[in-house]
Amino acid sequence: MKLIKPVSTLLTLIPSIAYIPILIEIIKGFHIGGLNIIFLFIKSAIKPSFNQEVVKSAWEGLQVTIATALTSWVISMLIGILLGVLSADLFWKSIPKFSYLGKFIKYSLAIPRSIHEVIWGLLFIQILGLNIWVAIISIVIPYSALTARVISEQLDSFDIQPLIALKKTGSNVISSFITILLPKLIPIVSTYGSYRFECAIRGVTLLGIFGLGGIGTELYLTLKSFEFNEMWTCLWMLWLVMILLEKFIRYLRSYLSENISLKNSFLISISIFSLSLSLGISWLYNLNFEIFTPLSFSYLNLPSFVEIRNGFSTLPLFKLIITTILITFFASGIAIGTPPILLVLFPGKFPLKVQNFIWIFFRLIPPPLTTILILLFTNPNISVAALSLGITHMGVMGRLLTDNILNQEKNIYRAIKSNGSSRKSATLYGILAPQSNNYLAYGAYRSDVILKETAIIGAVGGVGLGWQLQESLSSFDWAQVMIITATFSLLTISGEFLFNTSQNYWLKNSTNNFIS
Amino acid sequence: MTKLLELKNISHGSKESIRLKDINLTINQGEKIALIGKSGSGKSTLISIANGSLIPNEGDVTWKGSHIKNISNIESSKIGTIWQDLSLIEELNVAQNINCGALGKHNFIWALKNLLGVLDKGLCQDCLAAVSLPKKTIYSYINKLSGGQKKRIAIARLLRQEPEILLGDEPFSNLDPLLSKNILNLFINQKNYLRIKIPETILISLHQINLINNFNRVIGLKDGEIVIDRETLNINQSEFDCLY
Repeated sequence: MKLIKPVSTLLTLIPSIAYIPILIEIIKGFHIGGLNIIFLFIKSAIKPSFNQEVVKSAWEGLQVTIATALTSWVISMLIGILLGVLSADLFWKSIPKFSYLGKFIKYSLAIPRSIHEVIWGLLFIQILGLNIWVAIISIVIPYSALTARVISEQLDSFDIQPLIALKKTGSNVISSFITILLPKLIPIVSTYGSYRFECAIRGVTLLGIFGLGGIGTELYLTLKSFEFNEMWTCLWMLWLVMILLEKFIRYLRSYLSENISLKNSFLISISIFSLSLSLGISWLYNLNFEIFTPLSFSYLNLPSFVEIRNGFSTLPLFKLIITTILITFFASGIAIGTPPILLVLFPGKFPLKVQNFIWIFFRLIPPPLTTILILLFTNPNISVAALSLGITHMGVMGRLLTDNILNQEKNIYRAIKSNGSSRKSATLYGILAPQSNNYLAYGAYRSDVILKETAIIGAVGGVGLGWQLQESLSSFDWAQVMIITATFSLLTISGEFLFNTSQNYWLKNSTNNFIS
Repeated sequence: MTKLLELKNISHGSKESIRLKDINLTINQGEKIALIGKSGSGKSTLISIANGSLIPNEGDVTWKGSHIKNISNIESSKIGTIWQDLSLIEELNVAQNINCGALGKHNFIWALKNLLGVLDKGLCQDCLAAVSLPKKTIYSYINKLSGGQKKRIAIARLLRQEPEILLGDEPFSNLDPLLSKNILNLFINQKNYLRIKIPETILISLHQINLINNFNRVIGLKDGEIVIDRETLNINQSEFDCLY
């Protein structure tokens, strides 16, 4: 048998090999002490607390999270759209003299984009103290940059000919741009915007785990005190909100994708943004947050050159970078490899429904909390961090895969099955194979997100750059904080470039559209 | 004559359109059947029901006396179909697609191995030769081929399966007249090609009326009903005119 380059179908399965070293390490560090607690945690899933105080506290936490997410989301979308347009090559083609401005904006946005919202949160807490605006700003900065990148990439993928043709009619730059781009921009904003809002809720929940309030704080406190019934009350409520939100967004998207005029689409979009912002701010105000009080800044002693130089010599940077890369590598392996393996090993409609339920469950629990749970029965190491991240992101990948399968044409599966193939083989060839290029493209994007999230896992799990950052912040070593943040930023920018290249490679060869 | 496939009282459709109505059809071993009819007359639906991939609203399909839903994978592998939409996997290469025809004869591990490299290279190349494609095509990727080449790969996949019956849904569309004639000759007149066993029984839907004389039986569909079902020799032109 002549070996050829591995096909994408196999490449979706191979990453699950990451389980081998992960599980070996976890078993090596295994201690029986926390197992009872784990069983209690699992048991509490079906017996959450219905105590009035608990439910009230969870509901208040949820309100804070949703209101903060709503406010941050609107602001980040508006800034992101503006920056996205300004950083698109297409925009500057009308005024080529100033195209360097577009490039400058595009490349500058790599830095805010490269730093996770939790890191921004940890940094801003030092400057602004515990303030609701810390959570909002921590979300707005990276999310605006992420939105800007998506918008500019989408705009740059469009054909420039209609714009040139319009300009030749004598139309001015702004009019041409609005005429050509607005109809294209609205569907992008609608699709990506809804995804970003879900991310905002997850982001604010994570910030809460690090002390910035909302349901995240409730989850963290209940987990730390082993009040699992109360923790599950919060989780189930959060899950319910996410499900309702998902359904609402789907309804809104299908409504907007119907044949309604451009004018109405535009007005609806503006209304959604205005209403959301008003709702978010007034909601936070009603929850007694000092949203209109001017911020007070704490003065930070910026480190001197000597302190920075000393910081470089005291920090084990190389080891921290390698650790972070390894966590990303193994977590991505688990996240990417698990859903296809389960799909093929357990084919059929009912197993697919069960898998879908598992993915929802795994997406529900934020990675830092998974880390804390795993640490109950094993020692801190890279594997714990990788497994925690892998589990949550496996939920995201799994959901996307099952969603796409439900919308997939079944003709190839039908053809393979009809020639007598087993269900496993028919699923491998007829369902997984046609999805594989797009799945791997999305896997590349997910790996980029996982790399950024290693910062928060490290902080909880005691490994990598994230842990070191937490330590340096706690000891107010600003030199180390600067070095670690810059290192992390460089690492994620490099990762973004690598994963982007990989994503484009798979997308070039794909034949299906993947829901993202 | 051994009965292979039997369609009894088959009706299928929706409230908006009836695809097939009261179809009764028996296919015996060794028959070479041409299935003709206008576009939308129900030919593809009939083939999908005959191979068991589509469950009719009414009626039963039996394969060698057993209900088609209850036959084993081995028996299913004896029914081969060339699909109108080809159902090739663009993400795999030609050899891997051809080997999909043999999935019914092998286990899951073989299916995984097929993704790693080129298995049974010789057999794949024999299938390619049968459809007049060069041997080196086995390493090409499907998404790089033309429509006609893809059609031939779909036929090669069926040959790799070595079924007892061939159900072809317009297998000669996208092929030039000479190629169509050569492949049809392979199905009608040959029992083997190199190491490949050619199906003895065939039912092929086509629009090229000039090819009908190669078959020994003609079934004509009109608006979902069988209006012609007899030996080719006994059909006259006016019946074709009525059909179209």
